[in-house]
Amino acid sequence: MIRLVPNHAARVQRARSVTFTFDDEAISGFVGETVATALQRGGHRLLRHAPEDGGARGAFCCMGLCQECLVQVGGRPVESCRLLVSADLTVTSLKRGAQSQ
Amino acid sequence: MSQIFDIVVIGAGPAGANAALTAAWAGCRVAMVDEQRKPGGQVWRAKNPVVLEAPTTPESRSGDALRQEVACSTVLTFAQSRVWQIESAASGWEIYVLKEGKVVTLVAKALILATGAREYVQPVPGWTTPGVIGLAGATAMFKQDLALPGQRTVVSGTGPLVFFVASEIRRLGGEVAAVVTPNSKREWLRAFPAMVRRPDLLVRGALWVADLYLAGVPIYWRHAVAEIDGETDVSGVTIRRLTRDWAPDGEPEFLGADSLCLGNGLTPAAEAAQLAGLELRYRADLGGWCPEVDASGETEREGLFLCGDGAGIRGAAAAEIHGKLTGETASAYVRGVAPGENHLLQQAYQRAARFGMAMTALSVPRKGLQTLMCADTVVCRCESLTRSDIVAEINAGAQSTLSVKSGLRAGMGPCGGKFCQGTISQLIAQAKGGEVSDVPPPTARPPLRPIPVAALAGDFEYDDLPIPKPAPL
Amino acid sequence: MTIVYDIAVVGGGIMGCAAALEMAAGGMRPIVLEQSDIGQGASGVNAGTLSLQIKRVKLMPYALKGHHAWARMGAAVGFKKTGGFTLAFTEREAELLTERQTLKAKAGAPIEFVSTKRLRNVEPNLAQKVVAASYCAEDGYANSSLTGQYFRGRLCDEAIEYQERCQILAIDRGASYQLTTSRGVIYAKRLLLAAGAWIKTAAALLDVHLPVDARINTVSVTERMPALISSVIGHATGLLTMKQKANGTVLVGGGWQGRGRPQEGRGQVMASSVMPNIALAQFAMPGLSKARILRSWTGFEANVPDFYPLAGALPGFDDAFVLGCVRGGYTIGPYIGQLMGDFILGREPELPLFDPGRDFDEDML
Repeated sequence: MIRLVPNHAARVQRARSVTFTFDDEAISGFVGETVATALQRGGHRLLRHAPEDGGARGAFCCMGLCQECLVQVGGRPVESCRLLVSADLTVTSLKRGAQSQ
Repeated sequence: MSQIFDIVVIGAGPAGANAALTAAWAGCRVAMVDEQRKPGGQVWRAKNPVVLEAPTTPESRSGDALRQEVACSTVLTFAQSRVWQIESAASGWEIYVLKEGKVVTLVAKALILATGAREYVQPVPGWTTPGVIGLAGATAMFKQDLALPGQRTVVSGTGPLVFFVASEIRRLGGEVAAVVTPNSKREWLRAFPAMVRRPDLLVRGALWVADLYLAGVPIYWRHAVAEIDGETDVSGVTIRRLTRDWAPDGEPEFLGADSLCLGNGLTPAAEAAQLAGLELRYRADLGGWCPEVDASGETEREGLFLCGDGAGIRGAAAAEIHGKLTGETASAYVRGVAPGENHLLQQAYQRAARFGMAMTALSVPRKGLQTLMCADTVVCRCESLTRSDIVAEINAGAQSTLSVKSGLRAGMGPCGGKFCQGTISQLIAQAKGGEVSDVPPPTARPPLRPIPVAALAGDFEYDDLPIPKPAPL
Repeated sequence: MTIVYDIAVVGGGIMGCAAALEMAAGGMRPIVLEQSDIGQGASGVNAGTLSLQIKRVKLMPYALKGHHAWARMGAAVGFKKTGGFTLAFTEREAELLTERQTLKAKAGAPIEFVSTKRLRNVEPNLAQKVVAASYCAEDGYANSSLTGQYFRGRLCDEAIEYQERCQILAIDRGASYQLTTSRGVIYAKRLLLAAGAWIKTAAALLDVHLPVDARINTVSVTERMPALISSVIGHATGLLTMKQKANGTVLVGGGWQGRGRPQEGRGQVMASSVMPNIALAQFAMPGLSKARILRSWTGFEANVPDFYPLAGALPGFDDAFVLGCVRGGYTIGPYIGQLMGDFILGREPELPLFDPGRDFDEDML
């Protein structure tokens, strides 16, 4: 099949893969990519429940505006679309029932 | 602790970075503040450290060239820094910046705002489902992480962005389930005269569309996503054909997908301009509410300049030139000389702006799109307020965005109203039988982004607390 | 046919609306004219604190009545009687606290001094450095954001006419008052100026000079937090008020000054005020450090040199009245509005009003 837009997937080289913790689960991600990206690749799109009605929420604007992808690190709120993956990172979700640190 | 500059530039996209460079080359001491790790803005966003090597794109090449220029210049870049407050001062401007968890104050004679745009996403049933991201948000993922939004993605929205996103998904090895766009082929043909002025972009866009056709990706012209299926993850979308006014009227059709990229045009990010004291006026042809700015970047306030999409959506090519023109104007202001007339640059700006505005015209949502919302569709994502909540408040007498905000908290959540006020304005206009241009957004309030208490508190010494005159007994 | 209203109320805040409601109940036909939206001036942007501990001694009877008025409005205005603590962190502040709260208690506020142990039992998340505290069980808060929604609803229920985004451009006095507004001409037999910090401007249209000044108070709010405090918190110097709403957001005030003038629109937030205000809040409640501030804003608090209300006939007029400049106006507003309505209806107010024609250099009470 003729492709006018080439597939570059195989030509992308990424930094090493590490695991970090998301709500006590080990998630693999590449060092230096955003936590939101790693989580969505790992099947974790649901990041929090909306405080008023418990509606499911995940990354939305992906540029630090909407605050939908908020997670906690060290008990403080962080935008997961701006937080980079590193080894030993421990992230807690704002899902209902998730353990706040 | 404050640092003093001739000029502070807020935003390091094509407009801001070029303004900063031009002013620095003219001999000004320039600081440039940006949220991202590196200059480039949304359109030329730099790669995150995760990417060690990858094929280049026109965006990455433009961005790398710009970053190279900034690196070689005297511009002092405050990266990963968030401006949260802007104040006018006797000496010019005071800019309060959050950097590495601390507040830094920058003082400058002139301030250049180059805050760019954000996306308008028309609320539809299910748009809060995880797995639905903005079209512009998708481009951020592509550019910084070279990552995909899912395995099989529906790409839906207005203007050229929908085709760029679909094409990038294919370039990065993903599968596009379908492209769904409210625009008709005829609308694109009508934009042709404006597009031939930029043959490079025209050819590129044509390639994207041709590639989608060759790959057998269905393109649904004059359609919109009417509903998203899935509770905690997208399982598919329902699309419908639209009328000329973009109201849904066709039979629903289901498309299976695990992700959706959705966007309906860009709108100027004008909160910083509002904080700096500029009035906004409604310009549908420029993407919505924007401050009054001329081609030289001058505003109604002394020492305040503005360039790029924050002055109205004219696109990256225009923003780049507008940045250069504004850099010249601001540096002339700082040096106390009359700005030179750069006719060639002015002409180039007008040409680029015409192209950009043609794209904006294709992207701006039409009224009918509103009717995709149902009574229980969430409008304010932060507070989970539905269309019926908002309409009930309007019917009870709330006639302004300010009143709806106060009564319901629509706009008081963490996003500060960035994703609901456009829709709320339209709902008010609709109820009053008026126009959106009669329903301005609420007063902008600092901080421009949420700021940690610990950062504001800083190294507080209790004994330094100024004890005021006691209140009268 | 031209409508001549019994009274035009200039200003659709708490006081103007409360007075209009009272006058309508008494048989008058008022119209409320508001330059922005109902309840969006100081009435809608203050911190919502209902604390007797920060009320003036001589206004205590009015404040007690005001508390009852808010309690009656109840859930519709987000009223919560939580009790309130005022904290002192130094010996000097403790002295100030003792002196001031003793006088307020004597004036009828049920204020008591409490041990730091009791304070800690009730509010374990407050800083341990408190050296003295007073408590008032009557204290609480309401949600000032709901002022507009509430009073607009009340006006509608009572079929009282109002105009929003209605600027008064000129007032002429003939057989009746003729108000030229941005939304047309309005005729009324009487006038009540209840325009908050804009009272001075409104009175100037009648060539009356009122020595009204405005403080520009700053309020900030955090995003939702886990439960940290249940009471309204104050500070001996008055530099801090703090409360956590039912939704988890923490509201921080304390009268830190922004800048701007009412004539130029809304006031501006100053970072140099917000930062120490938030620092003091974090000092008093260290757990706040994990939150983010979402918004800061200012509201104009009008006052005259003696810091007592203007409530009575406009000097030189028998059919024009003025109501405003009430220190603690959010608390007292609904009640003093009602008193003003009674006065205009020709009734004897339950408590005395405050002659706007007085000599502001004398202690009037």
